[in-house]
Amino acid sequence: MKTILRYGATASLLAFVAGTASPAFAAGTPAGSTITNNVSVAYQVGGVSQTGLSASNSFTVDRKVNFTVAEDGNATTVVSPGQLAAVTSFVVTNTSNAPLDFGLAATNRSGGTAAHGGTDNFDVSNLRIYADTNNDGDYDPGTDVLITYLDQIAADASARVFVVADVPLGRSTNDVAGVRLTGTAAEATAAGSQGAVVTQTAGANTAGVDTVFADTVSADGNIARDGIHFDEDDYTILAAALTATKSSRVISDPLNGTTNPKMIPGAVVEYCITVANGSGGAAAANVAISDTLPATTAYEATFGVKVNGTVTGGVCNADGVIVGSHAAGVVSGTIPSIAAGDTRTVLFRVTIN
Amino acid sequence: MKFLLILLALLLPSAALAQNQVALNSEVFVERAVRNADGTSRVALETPGVVTPGDPLVFVLRYRNNGSAPAADFVVTNPIPDSVSFTGSESAGAVYSVDGGRSWGTLAQLSVRNADGSSRPAALADVTHVRWRLASAIPAGAEGELRFRGVVK
Repeated sequence: MKTILRYGATASLLAFVAGTASPAFAAGTPAGSTITNNVSVAYQVGGVSQTGLSASNSFTVDRKVNFTVAEDGNATTVVSPGQLAAVTSFVVTNTSNAPLDFGLAATNRSGGTAAHGGTDNFDVSNLRIYADTNNDGDYDPGTDVLITYLDQIAADASARVFVVADVPLGRSTNDVAGVRLTGTAAEATAAGSQGAVVTQTAGANTAGVDTVFADTVSADGNIARDGIHFDEDDYTILAAALTATKSSRVISDPLNGTTNPKMIPGAVVEYCITVANGSGGAAAANVAISDTLPATTAYEATFGVKVNGTVTGGVCNADGVIVGSHAAGVVSGTIPSIAAGDTRTVLFRVTIN
Repeated sequence: MKFLLILLALLLPSAALAQNQVALNSEVFVERAVRNADGTSRVALETPGVVTPGDPLVFVLRYRNNGSAPAADFVVTNPIPDSVSFTGSESAGAVYSVDGGRSWGTLAQLSVRNADGSSRPAALADVTHVRWRLASAIPAGAEGELRFRGVVK
């Protein structure tokens, strides 16, 4: 019994040495840890307990470089034409068994099917990458810091980053721009600077810590085991589609009055400018209308310029608010808001000279 | 006295082992899928070169009776290394401990206490020690091996 105790004590001592280097991370045993296996034996010969014996062996755990770049959320970012600093967000997760830096690059997708099913048909400009510095999940201009890499991401830790871009003018509803965030594994050599790009140990195993790429292949084109991973998100345009038409009708003439009036000099003519916003788009705000009067007409000041009127069955109603103005032969008015699928009018009258 | 013996064992391990008539050796291998020339694949055991978390391991314990008399009541005890998750014994007759070697039994006989005081049946991943007690004595000159599996955590 004494012999078993002796070897038991030796084995547990070795186990303690191994134990100090192996806290349980979900990303795995940290690179560089030594795993030691101890085995002990007790036996008898001729009914007499013999001196026990033990054996052990050890090996070193190598560095498994694995990480993911993934879109944060699962929806496109809806933008207006000309919108500045439109945001998509991504999360970079280090599933390696060692801390790493990650070089980051944001690029436009060129054509094909974008992340959320639409067809990529335009590019955003001024792509920038920001860290979620205050870790609130939202891009906060002035607080979140512009970055080109993630510094010292621990094993199993993750970091959210925002790709921020400007949307060009002149795009229509449902136009799509895909963007890609690419992460490249880099050495976490020193805090505050990006380390060298990680390279896989070539050739035979070495006694020290070797590096093995373990990033996975995926349907979106990620290549397995190259130390690079990316994901895509997209911007979808929601624009207002405005169409303006102008119609006129004779209200009265000096001879017939309002009964079957004719277009003769002195007749009063009403102009109606209708502005329609296509359905399925965005509401249009502050729609400014200006119209130059024909040379042979005179503005009817007593009627005024009625703005934000409605249309029924293609006929302009005599509603609206007299807030428009006339100056030097130009009539102008601003419609506060036109919802998608709605039509609003600007109404005014002139007299034929 | 006990302390002195431990010290002696640490200082003079070779002297202590030299007294043994049984030789013991522990080896570990990594299981890898190897592609054959005909396109099929097979599992090969490699010495642990590049080892990363998630790699399957096979531990092989070899013994040989170098003495002139049979070795009886042969008991082999192997604590599972901290960074290895036990996944099963390949050699029959293993008993397990899930409490650091205090109690032993088959997995079905063992249970693990939850944080809330309740207990649940023990699983392979709970195993802290594996032990074999050979049913028959090892004749002089005979040898054998025991195997178990694990995965790098």
